[in-house]
Amino acid sequence: MTYFILQILPYISVAVLTIGLLYRLGRWASGRIVHNITLTPAPTTQTGAVVDIAAEAILFKSLFKADKTLWTGSWIMHMSLFAILGGHVMGIGLLGLQFYYIGLTSAETSEYLSNLLGTSMGIVVLLGLLYLLYRRMAINEVKMISAPSDYLHLLMLIAIITAGNLMRFVPEWGIHYEPVRDYVAHLLTFSAVTPEMEVMHKPVFVIHLLLVQVLMMYLPFSKLLHIPGMFAHRWIINRPYVEPAPGMPGVTVGGSGHNVSGGHSASGEVQ
Amino acid sequence: MAFIEVSGQQIEVDEDGFLLNPDTWTEDVAKYFCKEEGIDELNDDHWKVIKYLRDYFFQFGIAPMVRKLCKDTGFSLKGIYELFPTGPAKGACKLAGLPKPTGCV
Amino acid sequence: MPLTETGLKQPVKANEKDLLKINMPVIPDDQKVEVALKHLNELGEKFRSLMLTFESCVKCGACAENCHTYLGTRDPYNIPANRADLLRKVYKRYFTPEGKFFPGLIGAKDLELEDLEKMYSYFYQCNECRRCSLVCPFGLDTCEATMAGRQLLHWLGMVPKLHASVGAAMAKTGNHTGLPKAATVDTCEFLEEDIMDEIGVDIKIPVDKPADILYIPSSADFMLNPNTMTGAAKFFHYLGVNWTISSEIVEAGNFGLLFDQRATLRANCMRVIDEALKLGIKKVVWGECGHGWRAGKMYLPGMLDRPGRIPIVHIHDEVAYYIEKGALKLNPDSITRPVTLHDPCNFGRACNMCDTLRKVMNASVSNFVEMTPNRERNFCCGGGSAILFDDPEMYDLRIKFSAKKAEQVRATGVDKDGEGILCAPCSICKAQLYPMVEEHKLGVEVKGLIDLVGLSLYPVKHD
Repeated sequence: MTYFILQILPYISVAVLTIGLLYRLGRWASGRIVHNITLTPAPTTQTGAVVDIAAEAILFKSLFKADKTLWTGSWIMHMSLFAILGGHVMGIGLLGLQFYYIGLTSAETSEYLSNLLGTSMGIVVLLGLLYLLYRRMAINEVKMISAPSDYLHLLMLIAIITAGNLMRFVPEWGIHYEPVRDYVAHLLTFSAVTPEMEVMHKPVFVIHLLLVQVLMMYLPFSKLLHIPGMFAHRWIINRPYVEPAPGMPGVTVGGSGHNVSGGHSASGEVQ
Repeated sequence: MAFIEVSGQQIEVDEDGFLLNPDTWTEDVAKYFCKEEGIDELNDDHWKVIKYLRDYFFQFGIAPMVRKLCKDTGFSLKGIYELFPTGPAKGACKLAGLPKPTGCV
Repeated sequence: MPLTETGLKQPVKANEKDLLKINMPVIPDDQKVEVALKHLNELGEKFRSLMLTFESCVKCGACAENCHTYLGTRDPYNIPANRADLLRKVYKRYFTPEGKFFPGLIGAKDLELEDLEKMYSYFYQCNECRRCSLVCPFGLDTCEATMAGRQLLHWLGMVPKLHASVGAAMAKTGNHTGLPKAATVDTCEFLEEDIMDEIGVDIKIPVDKPADILYIPSSADFMLNPNTMTGAAKFFHYLGVNWTISSEIVEAGNFGLLFDQRATLRANCMRVIDEALKLGIKKVVWGECGHGWRAGKMYLPGMLDRPGRIPIVHIHDEVAYYIEKGALKLNPDSITRPVTLHDPCNFGRACNMCDTLRKVMNASVSNFVEMTPNRERNFCCGGGSAILFDDPEMYDLRIKFSAKKAEQVRATGVDKDGEGILCAPCSICKAQLYPMVEEHKLGVEVKGLIDLVGLSLYPVKHD
């Protein structure tokens, strides 16, 4: 079983995630943007639109204006989760020596900082997730619109994070960066995982990895699609406003001459 | 289709209770409708408005602009609402046997 | 309507005869589900925005407290995410892998006739105001789900009588109220006299005259809002331009946007261009109508079947432009009553007109008070997307939908002395706010923005 989870499943889960995402993105791309449904006030340049969308993606701008409490919980949750993902790359890839490599600290301090950041973010993200779960159950409106899967996604993340935190806090359940790096290297080079490798003997690590892989596999078939979905949809309603709107069917037929009616380019004399 | 029975006659009305065909209107129809539009009894003022609406409708094919109705009949808008509590568009038109106004009104 | 007995509120449906007038067949009840699924698939495949709205919602519920229909009724199905879910559940069940295999888990469900009735009820309780899109962390446009839902219901022959009869009147006479040419001409003559009586200036409202500018008034201006029509006439007269209205298109609105974004929307767009070409028009100026301007500005360019190439502008933009140029001498001191402005949703969130409205307002009146929230964050009047139904149940809902608006108006204080003006530059807003002001007992008079421009341009002399 452990062998299956560590040796076979990773290839399956990565394949399902990739193919699933491509399938979803392909479906979206095949749908057209039929009408100009830009939300106004809209930027008038590409740069403006990119800045707007970036502010939404990084700062959750719309949500901040709409619901401060939800914003606090979800922003903290998403940002710490993002930091943790980055931390995994750094920790496993660079063995926690990233701060040392860029010349900020000594090697020991770098590893210490890396551990400290990982541990604290693990707690923060857990708190964020618990808040979101509480909110889903406590606020009547949110409860009314929730499907079972909405709770499951949260519980799944909580389980993954809890397994991760256990590895941080209980030394004998934890695992160091190095053996994991070796394991990842084995996977990337398609070489066989051997029974004496440390990863094979760390049940919490195996559970952590299993849950992550399950998540990866159902991601393209769940509301977690909001990650790419956000960019895809914002690109429809937060695009730069220009007339005639580029890419609309038939717009070149009816659209020329319409460009004087733009929000800020309004009006003119009788021609 | 719904029908109302007025003095022994079956008259066809639409889902909102307006006459389907303005030609089937009689004074009895107006009297029949006035109860449901919150009017106790039709007096001369009511008849003046109803007659005006019908004349205008048969000349132009539609009810007149509310302001024109007021000006030509000599009632203020408030006065019209006192006569027809449900308003000129709904109450008065219904009593006059005109079709229900459509659009953003 | 068997389901209204179970508490489902529905507007009166168009009957078979009404449907035939807008060229729609009647689908028998036992075939509705099958036909609906066919159409739903096409809609999902066609509109990327719709598919994304279906597949990316995380049900965070941020939209609930930001929707005036939910705030006014506390009906769970009026939570935007939940309203869209009526359609989303079905879409997922049939057209996504997760819904096919795990419907219970993700909240997908089989389509039943009952669901269609529910959709008919709740998609016609949505004002299509897009405030939910503004507050959604992903910008998901629930309005797209409502529009798709209404389109689907239209194809099934489930259209409110109001919308169907407007569609029929539009096809027959070129306006929503069914105004024939003779009545248009007569009303214009009456308005000319009215202007003469009021300010003593001879201002003509030309009909079907070859001209440079074609003005597209809202047909409601020929029924309820004469001052909007005369305001526009005064504006054009003041500038001395060669303008006209066309008896073939006395309609700024386009209900196609609201119930049928294919045939009806396109036909109404083409009608504008046809008339403009016929009269040798050089520029089309759109009147006060929120959804109509959204259709004219955002949808029309992609809907035409042949080259239009005639500039189309909105009268508010025109007025603002001439104010900036110094070509209009307005007398703001002639309107001293306190005025507050209701930003129509379609102007604020769909057509970027908030600055323009304020430019015109500040130049026209001397006591302008903003309501909060305003601009693109404004709440809808409660009548948006023409849910101006007047059967008692739906009327009651309309008034509930406007509770937030009433609260906003009251907070500005303009209604204190019963002398205030609530400016709503959109025909649907006006039609909704006239009764709303009565029901919520607000001391304000509802007026359009061009009404105020007209009054400020040619002040009425008080002796």
